[in-house]
Formats: sequence, C-alpha cells, structure tokens
Amino acid sequence: MTPIPIQQATRRRKALRAWFDPRGRGLGFIAFALQRITGLGLVLYLLLHMAVLTTLLQGESAWDQFVAFAKSPIMLLFDLLLIAGILIHGLNGLRVSIVGLGFGVKQHKTFFWIMMLLSALLFVYAGWLLFAH
Amino acid sequence: MQKTTPSKRGGSWIWQALTGVLLILLLGLHMIAQHFVVSGGLRTFQDVIDYLRNPVILVLEAIFMLVVTYHAMVGVRAILYDLGLDEAGKKKATTVLTILGALIIVWAAYLLLRLTSM
Repeated sequence: MTPIPIQQATRRRKALRAWFDPRGRGLGFIAFALQRITGLGLVLYLLLHMAVLTTLLQGESAWDQFVAFAKSPIMLLFDLLLIAGILIHGLNGLRVSIVGLGFGVKQHKTFFWIMMLLSALLFVYAGWLLFAH
Repeated sequence: MQKTTPSKRGGSWIWQALTGVLLILLLGLHMIAQHFVVSGGLRTFQDVIDYLRNPVILVLEAIFMLVVTYHAMVGVRAILYDLGLDEAGKKKATTVLTILGALIIVWAAYLLLRLTSM
C-alpha cells in the first residue's frame, strides 16, 4: 500500500476538523458541514440498524431482549439524536436539491432557517411521541 | 452565488437529489408504519413477520433498502472525493463503496427473504 504524503494527510485532517469549527464560517459552510456530519452518522446508523434487525433471525426471545433494551432511557435519547439527524439531513438535503435545480437561489439562507425551524418543530413532536407513548 | 446546472455537476448529483427526495417519502412511511403508529414504538416479533409477509410492504421495504444504500454510498464517496483524493484514490474509494453497498443489499435481501419464510 502506498503511504499517503504528509501534506495530503494534513490537508484531509484539516478539512475534517473544519466541519466541527463554525468560527468565522458563513451559513453555507455550516449547512454543508451539518449535511456531511449527519450523513455520516446516518450511514453508521444504517449498518447498526441492519445488525439489530439480524437478531430477528435468532427468534422471539432475542428480539424481545432487544426491544426491552431499546426502551431504556439511554436508547430513547439515542433515538432522539437519530431523529434530529434524519430531520436535519432530510430537510436540508431537500433545500439543497431545490436550490440546486435553480429555485429559491437568492433566498437560500432564509430557506435554510425555515427548514431548520421545521426540523425543530418536527423534532419536538417526535420527542413528544417517543416519550409520551 | 454562481448558478450551476445539474448537468455541469455530473449525473450523480441529480441521482443523489432524486434518491434523497424518494427517501424522505420512504423513510417517512417506514417510521410511521414501523414505529409511530405501533404501541411502544416497536413491533413484536410476530408483528414484524406478519408485517413483512404483506407483499406491498415487502416490495416497499426492499426499494427502501436499495435507495438508502445507493444514497449512502454515493454520499460517502462525495465526502471522500472532497477530502482531496487523487485519481487512484478515487477509483479505490468507488470500488470499495460499490462492494460495501452490494454486501449491504445482499444482507438486506437475505434478511427479508429469511424473515418472510419464517
């Protein structure tokens, strides 16, 4: 395997670190970084979800054990994090697609805040569903 | 902001946008049917099996898995490309993600088939 040149590796590390550093960044970059961070989180969740669903093959008792674990407070908090990730990624992605097709280009910042407000409202509703039921 | 058309950004951008919109619909349906309308948020073992035995649901879940896997792998590839991979690195990333995506789809298909035959 060819070693990665030091400059290239440093550039990659800097690019990754920049996603978590909103200082001095415009709204466009923050939206971009949010999309990437939530996207990677959702890819990890997809793999985890597949692993969890595989327990179904082990029969009813294995599934019941998982369901009991999934209803623990720590897992409900994890579910909230997941819902936040889905809402931010989904609604911001929808905005990016619409703006990318040439609609609402001049209003893209307002559009971003509308989507984030909608995410927040749906997040509160989902949280209420999660904890009240 | 400079306006660019989808054709100038390459075909994968428009597919990523289309699968993203489709995922909002499929994931919304999945979340409502599998979690929000279910007492306690998770179906019992027998409920999951019965649910998947409905052919319409089975097809929708299969489409959901295909679309989500494609969207996820193309998304990860875009992130890797943006980190400044050279041409050889881009080829390797595409190959690895194609294999990973194929494995996820095979794994999902196996799961769906086994569960519906239980």
